[in-house]
Amino acid sequence: MIEAIDVLEQARRDLGLSVDDLWYRYFALGGMSAALEVEAILYGALLTDEHNRDVLAVALNERFSELGRDHPLAYSDDEGLPDPVV
Amino acid sequence: MTAHRFGEFAIVIVFEGNRAILSVGGDVDALTAPTLGAVVRALVEQGHSDVVLDFGGLAFMGAAGLWVIVDTSTQLGKTHGALTVRSASAHTRRILDLTGVSALVHIELSDPASTLGAEQPPGDQSRNRPSLPIAARLPRMGQSHTSTEVIDAALRLVVELAKATVEGADGVSVSLERNGQLTTVAASNDTVLRMDAHQYETGEGPCVAAAVEGHWFHVESLAEEHRWPAFIPLAMHEDIGSILSSPLLGTERSIGALNIYSSSERAFGPPEQELAALFATQASGILVDAGSDLTDGQLANRITDALKAREVIAQAQGVLMARHHVTAKVAAATLHRNARTAELVVRQHAIDVLASTQGIIESDA
Repeated sequence: MIEAIDVLEQARRDLGLSVDDLWYRYFALGGMSAALEVEAILYGALLTDEHNRDVLAVALNERFSELGRDHPLAYSDDEGLPDPVV
Repeated sequence: MTAHRFGEFAIVIVFEGNRAILSVGGDVDALTAPTLGAVVRALVEQGHSDVVLDFGGLAFMGAAGLWVIVDTSTQLGKTHGALTVRSASAHTRRILDLTGVSALVHIELSDPASTLGAEQPPGDQSRNRPSLPIAARLPRMGQSHTSTEVIDAALRLVVELAKATVEGADGVSVSLERNGQLTTVAASNDTVLRMDAHQYETGEGPCVAAAVEGHWFHVESLAEEHRWPAFIPLAMHEDIGSILSSPLLGTERSIGALNIYSSSERAFGPPEQELAALFATQASGILVDAGSDLTDGQLANRITDALKAREVIAQAQGVLMARHHVTAKVAAATLHRNARTAELVVRQHAIDVLASTQGIIESDA
């Protein structure tokens, strides 16, 4: 199941991660959107594709993982996998 | 992540002319504060310049809730409006005082509160309020470095909230790396201060380990603990039974630890561990937002580091594309999923993928 954008934004807030910090992480992972675009995507003002959304989810999950919490955000191709991560 | 527990959180809005009165009930924490913030922001944008937050039904006020108050006060300041906090409990008023937020709001049914404010920053002449510890700076967090005093006040708040919330916690502290050394910047009592000091002196213990290694350490029973032989006897001398240390993570690395001590053995089960992680997240967020975890030099290195990571990941993506004859997006998705399965960050997994080619990367990738 792909995560809805508002779930990503909620996760960002839960993590206390600024948009800037999230963007650096996203950019390091190969994300192609500018920081302002990422902000617009998170606020639902700009639509994006599954791949871009996944890169944001990975950036957030890596932060969750650093804090000892499991990767809570699903990726778009998780559907049908035998071991969905919750 | 998908289950949002709002508890008893509720907002009831009553309008009296231009005045909007919001009765807030339940917990205002990291989860619910954004909702409160959005409601208040909408009201202000609609032109309500007189906002009252009635905290009579409030059960818990976290740092995120304070930020809503500060943010609202800043917005209202632009339109010469006013923010009033009504029926706050003694505990909430203490939090408002401790953090200096009480200087920004009218507090009804109590004396004008004195604040433990930091000195006004010399460069800031924007307002002439007697105390500006947070007002002038919080809204700009992320852009500028926040003063140490404000950060420490926020961390003291986290320590107090953690001690009040985590069952079995007899003492809580925050250790932070400052000038290359770990130091205790907030502690709920002297025993905790000494416990931290013992760890800095011996250079070992769960707090030092969490701060250095960036993951949490749990000492269920000091009597049965075999790690840290120099520190443990000192801790037992202070009648400590168990310790839970969670790392505070800066933007790039671990920068300190949130330490919870109990006089009982096995005081911290999974619920307490989860709470500790949440408070550590909150403390980390304060530090990261304040920009206090990065020096200017580190900030400059950050983009270079991100570029290096990008390159490694792009190369690994290329390897997978060539190896499996897939598109770039499929290769990226494979990297993401495999990194998660291997419990590695994508960057490390990418390095492993590159290493797996053993120097004979096919150049047609």
